[in-house]
Amino acid sequence: MDREEFVLVRDMVRSLATRFGVTSADEVKPSTRTAAQQALDDMGLADLRRTSPPAATAQECALLAEEHGRHPLTTSLLGTVLLAPELLRLLGADTSPGTPTIALTRELRLPGETPTDLVAWDSEGADSALCVTAEGTVTRVELGPAAPSADLVRSVRAVPPDAPVETVGRLAPPDRLRWQSYALVVVTAELVGAAGSLVEQAVEYARFRRQYGQAIGSFQAVQHLLADATVLVEACTSVTRYAAWCLDNEPPERALTAARVAKAEVNSSALEAVYAGTQVFGGIAQTWEHIAHLYLRKVRLGATLLATTDELLAALAVPEVTR
Amino acid sequence: MTDTPLDFGDPADLDRLRREFRAWLAEHPLPERQSGEPVPVFLRRWHRLLHSGGWVGLDVPERYGGRGLTALHQVAISDELGACRAPGVPRIGYLAHALLEFGSEEQRLRFLPPMLAGDEVWCQGFSEPGAGSDLAGMSTFAARHDGFYIVRGQKLWTSYAQYSGLCLLLARTDRAVPAHKSISAFVLPLDRPGVTVRPLRAANGDDEFCELFLDDVRLEESERIGVEGVGWALAMTTVSYERNALDTGHISKYGLLVERLRRHAAEHQGSLPDGLLSRIGRCVVDYEVLVAHARRRTAERLAGQVAGPESSVDKLLMTRTEQRLYDTALEVFPAELSGVGGELFGDYLYSRAASVYGGTSQIQRNIIAKRILHLPSNG
Repeated sequence: MDREEFVLVRDMVRSLATRFGVTSADEVKPSTRTAAQQALDDMGLADLRRTSPPAATAQECALLAEEHGRHPLTTSLLGTVLLAPELLRLLGADTSPGTPTIALTRELRLPGETPTDLVAWDSEGADSALCVTAEGTVTRVELGPAAPSADLVRSVRAVPPDAPVETVGRLAPPDRLRWQSYALVVVTAELVGAAGSLVEQAVEYARFRRQYGQAIGSFQAVQHLLADATVLVEACTSVTRYAAWCLDNEPPERALTAARVAKAEVNSSALEAVYAGTQVFGGIAQTWEHIAHLYLRKVRLGATLLATTDELLAALAVPEVTR
Repeated sequence: MTDTPLDFGDPADLDRLRREFRAWLAEHPLPERQSGEPVPVFLRRWHRLLHSGGWVGLDVPERYGGRGLTALHQVAISDELGACRAPGVPRIGYLAHALLEFGSEEQRLRFLPPMLAGDEVWCQGFSEPGAGSDLAGMSTFAARHDGFYIVRGQKLWTSYAQYSGLCLLLARTDRAVPAHKSISAFVLPLDRPGVTVRPLRAANGDDEFCELFLDDVRLEESERIGVEGVGWALAMTTVSYERNALDTGHISKYGLLVERLRRHAAEHQGSLPDGLLSRIGRCVVDYEVLVAHARRRTAERLAGQVAGPESSVDKLLMTRTEQRLYDTALEVFPAELSGVGGELFGDYLYSRAASVYGGTSQIQRNIIAKRILHLPSNG
């Protein structure tokens, strides 16, 4: 996309937030979820990554995921708009009907050789889920009932264990790497947006919230807390945007390393930044009505999603095979 | 800080440069430091060798002795240097930028080519005993006379002044106006009468830091950089670049140690104590984050953003990387701690300075709070 076109698409995602962004956990209801997802689907963004070559670069998609993460939106942009269509594009035979999302293990990892006990992750508006095994086989599975998620704005559904499994195709090894890297980057980008947004909201709050007769943002202790959180968000932003660019421009092995580095950084730093933001909000952030815990839930769960810090650090500690 | 797609360069073009550099390295073996050879002398030999191959100042225009490429090319070379166990890249990026932005054309033509070539070595005379992070508190004074200045004062932490020929000097030229308008910048030849350089021994045993005593030193008007009073802006620009790991050559230095840790991890994967593999992985992540961050900054600069307060973010990230890296390295190589400590231990001690030099970490946080987040002032 050219720059103007990208800004237009990004603003469409942003406009969803003003219309459908929830302002508290109480507003997260099935009817509001459906309405928001319908509005997202009407934008036709699922085609961004479905065609070959794709209409949007991976970097653009990551920026959209980042924007989506900035707002408390119940829409499944990642699952149904960015991830599942990418999988179908990589398979090269997009004859599949409907709106799939992706399936992960119950621990929210990428499935192994023989996937069992799956959930359809980010499933609002989806009618099936695609599962990629460790060797690259892509299957389509049915959706079961809604499954609880600690991330209250994210829709997750069970996958019936006895439901028929339809094989959709098989990813060649480089495409399997591309898919994994893309999934890591898109998920990571959403977390960066969430952490950055909560820190910005905390900065805004610190400007007018008064204690001891002055704005708390004038206290150096608070300033340094927010400055450190800003550094962490900037680190997350840099590493994720670079990883996204690598998807478009570098060989799959290098792109995967960059994606793993980004996820490892974001797992810890985005969470740390959210902690700082929550600290600045003080007691009010501990209430059910306040929006802070929606961000905390998303980022805390996101830090284990697809790959945990421990898994990534162990893998990254040894030299790359490609170097 | 842009929120639209960034151009991180043409990978094919950058790969060509990397290959060209590796081919050059294959024909020019890395120099060995001779026993007793001071580090700056060794680094200068390396600097000259690199320059002879055209690997210094890649982003400096050709007419000033550079290659006229982009800063992204410079990142690629810094990266390569780290990966191939080379000594660090010459730390001249921030000095070159100060001259490029504030020097006259005559000064740029006179000073940049020998700076890039390593023929003239520069140091930086900013800090004073009474003015470190609080640069506005400087008291070195340059009294203006007809066509020349007489400078009196003292500078401190002037790295490697005893090995340098020139100093980028800041001095106050007007006592009547606030610091931000009364500081001017000069090129000070260190062999000028009245200049005394006294090395200070640092905690790691090195004599990098120096004191500089200026007793009625005469400087010509033509040795002033820019107009009078522009010194504050020049200093801010210089430290903005100095706070970026790319411009100071730190990326290659960290990369070198990170590669060493990764090799160790690969060789001893089964026998590493609990948690150490993760800590090595964390160092890899810190380093890669810093490189990605330098690339993003560079891409933003190429897209037209000027260096500003966000360099405080860069500095804090650089500090995080350096301090965690050396701390971990001592756990991985405990033998470095036996006896009086090896070279790595010396670097570890030096890493503690990362949160002090170029503005302390607390100053960087103040800058972020006030100039990026626009938080209110106290009172």
